Amino acid sequence: MATYEDIQALHASLPPFEPIVPVWLLPILAFTLLASAFLLTFYFTTLPKSTIPVRELSVASLASVLAGFGVVALFNSVGVYV
Amino acid sequence: MLARWHALLLLHLASWASLSLADPVRSFENTAIVRTVELGGSSTHVTTSYIVRSLEAGVPAYYFALSDEELSKTSWIEAKLKGGKDTLKVQRHSVHVDDRVALYSVTLPKPLAKNASTTILVNTIQTHASKPWPPMAKQSGKQSLLYETGLYVLSPYKSITQRTKFKLPTPVVHSFTTPSAPAKFTQGSEQSPVVQSGAAITYGPFQDIPPSAETMFVDEAQENISVHYQYDHPVLAVTSLKRSAEISHWGANLNIEDKIDLRNGGPALEGHFSRVLHQMQSSRNSVPASIVRNIQMYPPAGIRDPYFYDRIGNVSTSRFRPAISSLSKQSFLELRPRYPLVGGWNYSFTLGWDAPLGDSTTYDAKEDKYTVGVPFWTHIPNAVVDEAEVTIILPEGATDISIYPPFPPNSISRRTHTTYLDTTGRPSVTFVKYGLTEKHTGLIYVSYSVSTTAHMKKPIAVGAAAMGLFVVALIVRRINPKIHKGKKTA
Repeated sequence: MATYEDIQALHASLPPFEPIVPVWLLPILAFTLLASAFLLTFYFTTLPKSTIPVRELSVASLASVLAGFGVVALFNSVGVYV
Repeated sequence: MLARWHALLLLHLASWASLSLADPVRSFENTAIVRTVELGGSSTHVTTSYIVRSLEAGVPAYYFALSDEELSKTSWIEAKLKGGKDTLKVQRHSVHVDDRVALYSVTLPKPLAKNASTTILVNTIQTHASKPWPPMAKQSGKQSLLYETGLYVLSPYKSITQRTKFKLPTPVVHSFTTPSAPAKFTQGSEQSPVVQSGAAITYGPFQDIPPSAETMFVDEAQENISVHYQYDHPVLAVTSLKRSAEISHWGANLNIEDKIDLRNGGPALEGHFSRVLHQMQSSRNSVPASIVRNIQMYPPAGIRDPYFYDRIGNVSTSRFRPAISSLSKQSFLELRPRYPLVGGWNYSFTLGWDAPLGDSTTYDAKEDKYTVGVPFWTHIPNAVVDEAEVTIILPEGATDISIYPPFPPNSISRRTHTTYLDTTGRPSVTFVKYGLTEKHTGLIYVSYSVSTTAHMKKPIAVGAAAMGLFVVALIVRRINPKIHKGKKTA
């Protein structure tokens, strides 16, 4: 276990935290991802019903992935830092 | 009777024996002790300088003592050699059997040679050492405080000369006690043992005081002295502080939220609070100094979006000035409570702000560890904290958590905190400490690792919920709720 002074010195020398997605990009991403998810959901509702719903499932999974990232970006851009 | 005498003797011998194991009484001699008490409001600074002469060679530690009533008030102790920059290691010893005196050891950087001299400075901060006297005062009355302490500085070694000096905040002193019978230590000098000059009161010098860190001295020779002085600043106390620091890796943000219960520790208000009188005094700028109308705080630079609300709702009477980029390391926050805080009144509020995570957190690429530094509390001028609970909430899926508090807290506990978009919850560490002063604003360092899969838990969780909705939609599309009419005729 390092001492407090060691950690203090280490903390002063290391580079600062950088997020994976830059902060200024989050509102733009939120808008584009959620808009795409919305459009894909609309497209999903127009798809014909088939016995093996391959097309429906692929559109649904793409829309959910976009919605997942879009919602996280949305929460962060309005100030709820999740 | 004999058994009791035996027990007493054994106990006394045991105390001497254990003391001799740790440090013989004859290893040091105090050439001079000067205690300076800077009288204040809720916190009092006491600096004791011990000029010591070593009677033996190679003794590694010097022992100093605090009486039990001093110990109950002391929140912070630091020891240094005069002229030295580094603080020396101070340790509490339970070697002494007596419970009226507490012994502390100071580890000297280099053991002294025989007959060598050095000066050790011991700084302590006492909280709530001065009490308002008289305990009640009118709305336009002045605030006076009373400080009581023992006349002699206790020490396990013999002292050749000793002095206590009180520094008053203003030259206005109502009264101070004149010691009744210090004759045995003043060597029959005609000069009064206590002298006031301007804003300083000096008790002493007292000569040839034997080793005093024991009950016999405290009971027989020790006297209590008190100083009754006027104090023209507010006496504030944060009776309870709950700080929560939440780290967000997606938003690169550190949110700090304080729930503060503030109390004015001045004389309690006598009679009703007259708003008319208060307005008149405000317009004439003659509101007594003990009434708190606003609180100024200096949070670190780079913070944004501060919020200030209480039980009723948002409090808009506040001012925030962000730090002027490179010039200062502090932002300015002025809060004005809903009502002026008169003596004896309380005000509870919640204060919070956001800060970019890069200002407080670093990343070690080699070890894949993040280290965050969160200040224990942000100092409110003229205030001390009675009980503080600081919780650091780490991101979801944080592992390998190591904590480095700036001073040993009273308790540390681990919990799981759940908030928006959480599935498994976030690990959180809680530190509890009693009696914080302006010297306790150091950073708590916590280091942790977050793997990329743990980081992706949030969008995957939301995506899974969305996928669930789509699957439900798939099923619902295929269910035909129509009631078939007359398809089969009987």
